[in-house]
Amino acid sequence: MNIISSVVSKVFQFYGPSNKNNVERTTKMEEKALEVYDVIRTIRDPEKPNTLEELDVVTEKCVEVQELGDDEYLIIIKFSPTVPHCSLATLIGLCLQVKLQRCLPFKHKLEIYIAEGTHSTEEDINKQINDKERVAAAMENPNLREIVEQCVTEPDD
Amino acid sequence: MKDTLAILHRLSAHPESRCWYVAWHPLGALLASCGGDRAVRIWGKEGDDWVCKCALSDGHQRTVRKVAWSPCGHYLASASFDATTCIWKMTNDDFECLTVLEGHENEVKCVAWASSGHLLATCSRDKSVWIWEVDEEDEYECVSVVNSHTQDVKHVVWHPTQELLASASYDNKVCIYKEEDDDWECRATLEGHTSTVWSLSFDPEGQRLASCSDDRTVKIWKECTSGEDEDSTDGAWKCVCTLSGFHGRTVYDVSWCHLTGALATACGDDGVRVFKEDAAADPRHPAFYLSAHVPKAHNQDVNCVAWHPKEAGLLATCSDNGEIAIWNYQSDA
Amino acid sequence: MASNFSGVLQLTDLDDFITPSQECVKPLKLDNKQGRSVAKIQIEDDGNYFQVNQDGQMHKLEKARITLNDCLACSGCITSAESILISQQSHEELYRVLRQNKVMPSHNIEQKVVVVSLSPQSRASLAARYGLSSSDAARRLTAFFKNLGVHYVFDTGFSRAFSLLESQREFLERFSRKEEDKKSLPMLASACPGWICYAEKTHGDFILPYISTTRSPQQMMGSLVKRFFSMQQALEPQKIYHVTVMPCYDKKLEASRPDFYLRESETREVDCVITSGEVLKMLEEEGVSLNYVNPAPLDTMFNNMCDEELLCHAGSGSGGYLHHVYTHAAKQLFGVEVQEITYKTLRNKDFQEVTLEKDGVVLLRFAATYGFRNIQNLVQKLKRGKSLYHFVEVMACPSGCLNGGGQLKPVADQSNKELLQQVDELYRAERVSAPEGDARVVELYRSWLEGMGEEQAQQLLHTQYHAVEKSTSGLTIKW
Repeated sequence: MNIISSVVSKVFQFYGPSNKNNVERTTKMEEKALEVYDVIRTIRDPEKPNTLEELDVVTEKCVEVQELGDDEYLIIIKFSPTVPHCSLATLIGLCLQVKLQRCLPFKHKLEIYIAEGTHSTEEDINKQINDKERVAAAMENPNLREIVEQCVTEPDD
Repeated sequence: MKDTLAILHRLSAHPESRCWYVAWHPLGALLASCGGDRAVRIWGKEGDDWVCKCALSDGHQRTVRKVAWSPCGHYLASASFDATTCIWKMTNDDFECLTVLEGHENEVKCVAWASSGHLLATCSRDKSVWIWEVDEEDEYECVSVVNSHTQDVKHVVWHPTQELLASASYDNKVCIYKEEDDDWECRATLEGHTSTVWSLSFDPEGQRLASCSDDRTVKIWKECTSGEDEDSTDGAWKCVCTLSGFHGRTVYDVSWCHLTGALATACGDDGVRVFKEDAAADPRHPAFYLSAHVPKAHNQDVNCVAWHPKEAGLLATCSDNGEIAIWNYQSDA
Repeated sequence: MASNFSGVLQLTDLDDFITPSQECVKPLKLDNKQGRSVAKIQIEDDGNYFQVNQDGQMHKLEKARITLNDCLACSGCITSAESILISQQSHEELYRVLRQNKVMPSHNIEQKVVVVSLSPQSRASLAARYGLSSSDAARRLTAFFKNLGVHYVFDTGFSRAFSLLESQREFLERFSRKEEDKKSLPMLASACPGWICYAEKTHGDFILPYISTTRSPQQMMGSLVKRFFSMQQALEPQKIYHVTVMPCYDKKLEASRPDFYLRESETREVDCVITSGEVLKMLEEEGVSLNYVNPAPLDTMFNNMCDEELLCHAGSGSGGYLHHVYTHAAKQLFGVEVQEITYKTLRNKDFQEVTLEKDGVVLLRFAATYGFRNIQNLVQKLKRGKSLYHFVEVMACPSGCLNGGGQLKPVADQSNKELLQQVDELYRAERVSAPEGDARVVELYRSWLEGMGEEQAQQLLHTQYHAVEKSTSGLTIKW
């Protein structure tokens, strides 16, 4: 894993070797973040044939993980929708919610936001995609569900 | 904290799904729960155990978000994401779907009976609050549709004795409604929360209202009565206390115990908390302290807290993991 | 942005208040130049959108333009339709046409004959503001509009006679086939566009067969002006600019329905609808008080009048459909001469019932159902097969059309209730006329409508409804 080692070396440069505990924790969080990223990067865009990674909607840097307690983590994702005024942003948020809920092997709380300056109604969208009741109801709508399923299903499943 | 919240029972109520809400029967012998599995379940105590007496799984096509018992205890209302509200009639231990209330455009988020039992309120993502009247023949008619919120309405609750209704919304506001002429209208709008208001609870006398929010606070509102405050008008509500810094994530529910006055909260950080009022505080500026806190009451978000109507200290909670827990709260104070 | 539409329409709005360029749910057709284009979009401070290509090149993106017809054909939202309507049907538009007329009048091919049709409810609302009688207000408004360059000022009370007469005929026809056709009764009145829009969007094919196909007074006037008047004046329909003044914003939606568009001459039967409130705005913009406008004689062609005084129809301030249909049905079906109608208030003042009984048997059961809550109960009763009604006068606004969303707002120190009562009194102060008693109406039926054959006459006096299909594309669903 080239990425991890490069991350690790960067981290070492930053904190210096003396602060071993912190470094270990940071490394662990970076690993968790990569684990999260690995789940979301293959989600397909609801409109295009590409994945969110290919479209730069999500990048490694957009995932942040914090420790909440024993084996429980707070995941914060900041994604950049391709079109600022599109209603697809909420749909991408829905896909992120659903896929992580299904695929992440560790206990977590999730916060999903739109990267600042990428959308004209950022706050509204952030509020909607983090409202678990709205998300749950959306996933019971057969038409929405169908689209989300198409986006989150791995091609080789 | 000398006060304790001790676990009594844990039930897997809606396995593989969410348990959204629980409601005690007014006499306290039964507990109704509902969830993402589209079912309503009725729980009763047999010996030392809580068992499922009945499952109502053919009433709704989608998630059942809330359930409410009528004050007489003979009827149960269930509000669902399928845009309908079902009214169930209980005879012995059997439930029959009496009627289906239609009209909301989309998800019904909450249903509540007025203390008289003649009025019912529902609210929905369609931004409206509906008031229904029940006649002697169990016929339901819509008496009012009020559009005071600008967003999804999350919760409705009636005053414990009067025909006064409160609603909480995604628009960060709380509205208070009364009947005027022959229609219902919003008499007061309570602004102060900075994000979605998820739930509401009146204190035992109905003089104060607690609201809980996605902004991680609980606020206590008090009705201004003339003479008390020069600059306030009758019917206006003022925030007299904000509980902030206690909750780690969204507060999904709040319940004011009508027997003890304790205030319980359900939180997205998996915790259940009980607050007590500081008896020494000035009643115009009430103060609350954290009396008991179970940080990992459930292993996922806690969605609901409900005090038992008859037995002081008995508290039911439920969670995203489909579980119900029953607790005993004991306070030295 | 606060919405002006009736509460019924607002409730069916699943969206938040949006403007079409910003968040319309209608997917736009994009020209895809390459199969795999990877680009980002950036919003500049001025609100413009730029596409940033991979090589860093930026180019400005066009804002999507959505026409009113796109909006009306879509079940997405109503507020978008409103912002389009504001630009396409406003007093500004009327001013634009009047200005255009003044440019080189003799050589201007865009020159139009401008016709304004005033509704009785609007003149009552404006009369209340200026302390005038309804007829006086109409005469002064006629002068005001003519001073601005309007050629004719008519009264939709005149075209309402056709709506009442056609409703009555349609009712008798439906009543006669009530045994074979379970959806022939109750007949639900169709004059309220808010109600029609709600029925089409929310209850679709279930409810539409019950709704009377009779055109509203506004659209009756549309037929009269663009089909009869144009013929008589030897004008092509598109050379007439027809404006109605209505108590209601939803009337703008009605005028925009494709059913009321003359394809061959590419014009609407009603080009522009302005509300009573917008007329007040025009008066204010012109710095004119109606009190100081010298009254002008009323145009005689399409006005329901007698000796320079305008007349009204019996019954409710919403057009009196119940009254007219009931009185005639009682007489023609059961030989009962109805002298006075007794309204029984049911659950609230906006739900009233009228019954015709003989020997303890109910022969006719009519209702007036106003406001969304009462419409709900009516629809639910129908769905459960528990409706006992033969006819229902349905209106979206509580208290009906006199209280329409386009009416003047109360002035300071006045409650809405007081104002409504005043407007109601002014409306009723006009002498009642029977639609079948208007000689010109009878004459038009004979000379204009009978000559053209039943099918065409039907088209001119009736309309159709279309269930709006619910969007099933996940990409456009608002959650």
